[in-house]
Amino acid sequence: MLELKKLYFTIQDDDVDIGAKRNIIDGIDFTFEKGKFYVITGPNGSGKTTLAKLIMGINPISSGSIIFEGKDISSLSITERAKLGIAYSFQQPARFKGITFRDLLAIATGNNDEKKFLEMVTRVGICPLSFLDKEVDARLSGGEIKKIELATTIAANPKLAIYDEPDTGIDLWTIGPMVSLLKKELTPKTTTIVVSHNRAFLDVADVIIIIDKGRIVYSGDLKSALPLLTDLSICTYHNNCERDKDVGCLR
Amino acid sequence: MLDALDKKLLKTVADLEGLPKGAYNIRKNGKLLDRQISANIDIETNADGTGIIVTIKPGTKNESVHIPVILSQAGLFDVVYNSFIIGEGAEVTIVAGCGIHCGTSESEGHAGIHDFQVGKKAKVNYVEKHFAMGEGSGRRTLNPTTKVFLDEGATAEMELTQISGVDEADRLNEATLGPGSLLLITERVLTEGEQRAESTNNIILQGSGSRANMISRSVMKGNSKQIFHANMEARAKCFGHIECDAIIMDNGTNETMPALKALHPDAELTHEASIGKIANDQLTKLMSLGLTYDQAVNRIIQGFLK
Ligand SMILES: Nc1ncnc2c1ncn2[C@@H]1O[C@H](COP(=O)(O)OP(=O)(O)O)[C@@H](O)[C@H]1O
Ligand SMILES: [Mg+2]
Repeated sequence: MLELKKLYFTIQDDDVDIGAKRNIIDGIDFTFEKGKFYVITGPNGSGKTTLAKLIMGINPISSGSIIFEGKDISSLSITERAKLGIAYSFQQPARFKGITFRDLLAIATGNNDEKKFLEMVTRVGICPLSFLDKEVDARLSGGEIKKIELATTIAANPKLAIYDEPDTGIDLWTIGPMVSLLKKELTPKTTTIVVSHNRAFLDVADVIIIIDKGRIVYSGDLKSALPLLTDLSICTYHNNCERDKDVGCLR
Repeated sequence: MLDALDKKLLKTVADLEGLPKGAYNIRKNGKLLDRQISANIDIETNADGTGIIVTIKPGTKNESVHIPVILSQAGLFDVVYNSFIIGEGAEVTIVAGCGIHCGTSESEGHAGIHDFQVGKKAKVNYVEKHFAMGEGSGRRTLNPTTKVFLDEGATAEMELTQISGVDEADRLNEATLGPGSLLLITERVLTEGEQRAESTNNIILQGSGSRANMISRSVMKGNSKQIFHANMEARAKCFGHIECDAIIMDNGTNETMPALKALHPDAELTHEASIGKIANDQLTKLMSLGLTYDQAVNRIIQGFLK
């Protein structure tokens, strides 16, 4: 349902000599199948958020193409992609002034049906009803805003939903219900991509994708992913990594 | 008695379809158009005939007074002095507002100079909306002044809004807070084109345990300009906060000057100020929910000025 073809996102790197370029997403080819539950994981700074934003159209692709349900969407705007049925839950959700959770739900669903909202919030379960009239502003805690972000994505009733680290800031006892909501209730009707390091998500993934330095280094089941995951998670030296030559590297 | 234009202006500035319930005083083109008093709310013209005195009996509950001003006479600059005396323990909503219709090249304007004496433990909710319209090229000016004195334990909540069409606005808000009193001011101003708006706020926290919160939200479209001064002076153990946010669109400009002065060791004063364009992450979020760029901008501004 979603094909990424030779996808690149290249920036002018100001760390290095002027003119130097860096591929944040470095040639990704991958096909996501309808109705499956994918978990993307990988070290901090490996390009997971960048990839998600390329799919939603928030970052422009530098080269390659994105095919959604057989249609090339590479040059479509965020709005057009949203209308085609792609939704994205931000890792760092926006905070507004004077816009409530209810307002966001009304925008996401295109209606103002109180009953549907209550039904929706109850079904999502993870946010209390009292959130409805909360302003989505700087006063919300990190966990609260993540729950609201997740609910607005679900409310849009997308064909493809991408959740960028939905579990950060969430209390332990919410993670279980969140995993079962996204996996059991919403997939396979919705094709789901979750960016997460959380074992609870990895455990239920149909496919695990490991990204490192802008490339897919693994895709497959959890069992074969585990050795690689333990390796990558300890490496925090990407910035000065000398790749194969690096004698100090634990890998 | 009210023509179609009057009705539109009244609807916009006072949310009124026709005449309000309860006490009211409607002023049109510098003259009294209609007045009604109630058992607890008295309205009379002041001694020199330059405005009204509204007296609210002590203990009055859940009543409202509407005092809209409408202006549609070319070349008129209407100045009015209104006093509000709110008795001990009364709870009242006062809806003021000025709507200007300017149909010619001659300028029109209004200056409403309002003072409030809010009695012990009384609560006043003051809502004021300013709006101008019309095809004429004359300038529309609104220069309001509000002076508030809060007695012990009194509360004043003031919502001051300038919606659109006002070319020139120069506002002055002054408040002196008695012991244990509370003042909440929310000011929202939208300017566009070549409009200019200036607001000066001087708040004195005089009494022990007094609290003040001043919120200002400004949006500058086109080449418009807004200047905002907020001065809070603490003379007792008290709490004061100023929050001013300005969104610049197009080529608008803004100057924001919050100032805090603590003259007492137990004073607690804080301020937050920001000026900038609409945040990108807000736009992106709303677009990812299906709004176009323009719809997202409008929605964000609408919320910001809500
Ligand atoms: N627009 C951009 N300009 C410059 N650097 C960027 C941009 N977007 C992402 N990056 C950099 O790309 C790397 C990958 O970021 P990100 O995709 O957020 O990683 P992850 O989500 O895997 O932690 C980071 O080093 C980040 O600073
Ligand atoms: Mg990320």
